Formats: sequence, C-alpha cells, structure tokens
Amino acid sequence: MAKVQSSGATAAVQAEGLVKHYATKKEVIEAVRGVDLRVETGEVFGFLGPNGAGKSTTVRMLTTLLSITSGSAFVAGVDVARDPDEARRRMGVALQEAGLDARQTGRELLVLQGRLFDMSPSDASARADELLALVELEEAADRRIKGYSGGMKRRLDLASALVHEPDVLFLDEPTTGLDPASRLTVWDELRRINTRGTTIFLTTQYLEEADQLCDRIAIIDGGLIVREGTPAQLKAELRERRGLATDPTLDDVFLDATGRTRVAGDVQEVSR
Amino acid sequence: MTQAWVLGQRALREAWRTPEALLPTLFIPLFFLVVNVGQAARIFPSKSTSFLHGQGYGAFQLPSSLLLAASFGSAALFLVEEIEGGYFDKLRATPIPRTAIVLGRLISEGVKGVFMASALVVLGLIFGIRIASGPLGFVLLVGLAALWAVVFSGFMQAIALKTRSAAATNSAGLIFFPLLFLTPNFVPRNLLTRPMEIAATVNPVTYVMEALRSLILEDLVWSKILYGFGVATALGVVMLALNVRLIRHYD
Ligand SMILES: Nc1ncnc2c1ncn2[C@@H]1O[C@H](COP(=O)(O)OP(=O)(O)O)[C@@H](O)[C@H]1O
Ligand SMILES: [Mg+2]
Repeated sequence: MAKVQSSGATAAVQAEGLVKHYATKKEVIEAVRGVDLRVETGEVFGFLGPNGAGKSTTVRMLTTLLSITSGSAFVAGVDVARDPDEARRRMGVALQEAGLDARQTGRELLVLQGRLFDMSPSDASARADELLALVELEEAADRRIKGYSGGMKRRLDLASALVHEPDVLFLDEPTTGLDPASRLTVWDELRRINTRGTTIFLTTQYLEEADQLCDRIAIIDGGLIVREGTPAQLKAELRERRGLATDPTLDDVFLDATGRTRVAGDVQEVSR
Repeated sequence: MTQAWVLGQRALREAWRTPEALLPTLFIPLFFLVVNVGQAARIFPSKSTSFLHGQGYGAFQLPSSLLLAASFGSAALFLVEEIEGGYFDKLRATPIPRTAIVLGRLISEGVKGVFMASALVVLGLIFGIRIASGPLGFVLLVGLAALWAVVFSGFMQAIALKTRSAAATNSAGLIFFPLLFLTPNFVPRNLLTRPMEIAATVNPVTYVMEALRSLILEDLVWSKILYGFGVATALGVVMLALNVRLIRHYD
C-alpha cells in the first residue's frame, strides 16, 4: 500500500453530516441520514453495506452527480457542492454500471475522455495509449466496446476514470458481476493504481474484497455508519465484546454490525 | 465550445455506426414524397395550378418531406440508452459546461440534417424539381431544414432528460403527426377549410414549411424566409434553454 498521510493534512475525502432525501410521489426516502467520513490521502478505503444501505447514494453525492440534501463534502480539499468542476478535476469516477458507450472503440472512449479534461488531441491520444497498456487492453483497443467482456469493460471503465490522473478514485462496486479471475485482475489493477499514490474509495458487497484491499473500512446500514476502522481493529473489537477464542472474520463483523444473523433464510448474501 | 464539438463528433460517429436508425430517416420521407405526388399530381397539373408557379406537384411536396426527415429525433433514444447504461453520468462527472453535454447531440443532429436535406433536395433536382431562388436559396433551404432537425431533436432530448424513459420519449415523438399534418402540406393555406386554416396558422411548422416552399417555388421572398427562420430560431432557443435547465437540475 502507498504511504498514508496521517491527519492534519488535507483529507482525500471529508464529509460531515451528509444527508440525502429522495422525494418520490408517495413518500420521502431517507437514503443517507447523516454520514461523517474522513479518508486520508493514499488510503484504500472500503465502504461496505448491504443492498440499499446508501452506498451508491453517498458516492454519487461525493462525486457531484447527486445534489446534497444537507451536510458538506470535500474531495481533495475542494467543496463538491460549491466548486463541482474543480472537484471533478481532482476525482476519477467508475460507477456501478461500468457506464461506457458501446458504439465506440476503447481508444475512442479514452481519447474523448481526455479531450473533455482539456487535453490536446495528441496528449489525449498519448494518454489513451498509456492507459490501454496499464489495463492490458491494447489488443482490443480498436474494437467496439459492444464486443468486450464484462472484465474488459470494467478495466476500460477504470482506465477512463484515470485519464486526468485524479487524486482520488471513486469506485462503486467495481467487481460486482465479475468472474473470480477478472476480479483478481481488477484487484491487481487497483493495488498498482494505489501504489502510484492515488487514494481509492470503493464500495463493495464482498467482504473478502474489503479484507484484501482496504486499509480502512466503514460499514453503512440504513443510511447510517455503524462501524469504522481497520479490518483488524473491527475484528479485535468484536472478539473482545463477544469474548471469542479466535479472531472472527470480517463476515462476522459485518453480520454483527448490520444486525443480521446466520439463521438460514435471514443471511444477507455478502461474500463470494 | 471545443468540448461540445468533440461530443458532437462522437454523436456523428454513433449515427454513422447505426445505419439501421439513419436509413429510415431518408427513405420514409422519400416514400411519402413519391406516394403523395403519385396520388395527387393529376389533381394539380402544373399548367393550370397557380400555386405551383409552373413546377410539378413534387416541388410543392418536397418541403413536407424535408420536415419529415427532420422529425425523427432518434438521437434522443441514444441519450436514454446512455442514461440507463450510466455513460451519461460519466459525462456529467467531467468538468465541462453542462451546455456542452446537451449541445453535443444537437450539433450532430444539425450536421446530419444538412446531409439529409441536401440528399433529398439533390434527388429532387434529379427528378426535375428546380430551386427557384438559386444557389443561395439552396443553402437557405438546407439550412432551415437542418435547423428544424435541431429544434425537433432538442424537444425529444428534453423529454428524454425529463422522463429518462425510451417509451415516453418515443411517445413524445408522435407529436410530429399534428405538427406536420396540421399544416398547409397538400395545398396552400388559403385553400384549407376554415378549421384547418386556423390550426395551421397557430402551428409554427406552417411558417417553416412556407419558407421552404417559397425558396423552391418562388424566389428569395425575404418576408417568408425570415418568418421561417425566426420561428425555428425562437423555438430552438426555447429548446436549448429547456435542455440546459433540465441537465442543471438533473439528479
Ligand atoms: N433515485 C432514487 N429515488 C428514490 N429512491 C432511491 C433512489 N436511488 C436510491 N434510492 C433508495 O435509497 C436507498 C439507498 O440506495 P443506494 O444508495 O442505491 O444503496 P446501495 O448502493 O447501498 O445498494 C434504497 O432504499 C434505494 O431504494
Ligand atoms: Mg449501489
């Protein structure tokens, strides 16, 4: 893992009292109900929670894609609500759906992305070459994205989020729906990106992923953060509280935190 | 503006790579032109029909076909696809003006409109239609048809941004029926029945159609030309403002 700058310096991500209410025709849904977060520069931060917990909503607020009902959020020191364009220059975003334009080629997509971040045509094209090499998509670069596999699309999405060398990379469930081999490839990619100094904020439903990749995690449930710490701290805390003989797994921590038990039928699909 | 043009080029590639969406916008208007002329040409012989200004009925019908070609707005459906797929959010996460995002596809619709209209007019020329207003008239004719294509896709794009639904966007596109047919599309306005004449008078497309028609049949009749461009430009500004508002408040 890259060197983590301890507190004092500007945090990579800082949110205070973040709230999101969705107004639907029938009711107001309180998707996020007061989230405080601080992610240090250089960290890989895991944001965990069951389906519907508010992970995507939080990420979408942090990435300027969703208006903030109340509270504040800063990315690399920039207020995302006050100065969204400057915040956008500091962050890379790869969302849950691996949103790509299927009718373009991988290279065209990356060049376009570079152009939208103010690069000249030749700079954008050089950057596209670099990134295609980084995510090992050189061979497929000039084929339409329509024909890419799920893993290739994820890697391209990752590359497109890196075009402008962001300080902070936001990933919403980067490996959901991938086969195990592709998942490992994405993990390797993320480690490499982090080693180069990029802070990573990722959401996941896979506890093993969090355990393998993340320096620190937070667990969100029902729009509120219910646990926060390093995986080791969280395991130790549960062990002590329950008086267990051996360290529990992160699965146990998650089930404990979200009030779900191992009773058949009531277990959240959380891992593997 | 560079960014809007970069996105415009992308939308043009998209259009070029989906010929299944592109070709009907050329062939359906041609089909109507041939059928309408085939059915009505004998009612309106060019010698004894003063509103034809000596040309055949096809010349009178060409503007309807140009407007039909400009009223498909298929780009809005690509936008819905992009919203559903998540690429739209990727674009929103870039630090470009929101206006550039909505302009991208409108620029490409304008360019496409120029090519479509040119193709239809050139086909018309081959079959004996003359542009009475000359080369400048040709440019104005193609320009106005393309401008209308931008207005109409602006409308469709606004619906797409508002509803984010392909079904709703498709349904909204059906507005082209009243817009295109509550016009003097078979005979000039003064020959319409009273209710039709009223409907045509309040329909903005009428003025665009009359401007196009005057360019083909008459000469540079500036009053009609300015009316046509004025109406289309005003609606274009309204659509652009609506689009920008919708994307600014997009959540
Ligand atoms: N656009 C929306 N309109 C209304 N409710 C929404 C919307 N998006 C998400 N929600 C609701 O907000 C809650 C949190 O959703 P989300 O942030 O997507 O959770 P997660 O990503 O953790 O699965 C859920 O109850 C979800 O149904
Ligand atoms: Mg989610």
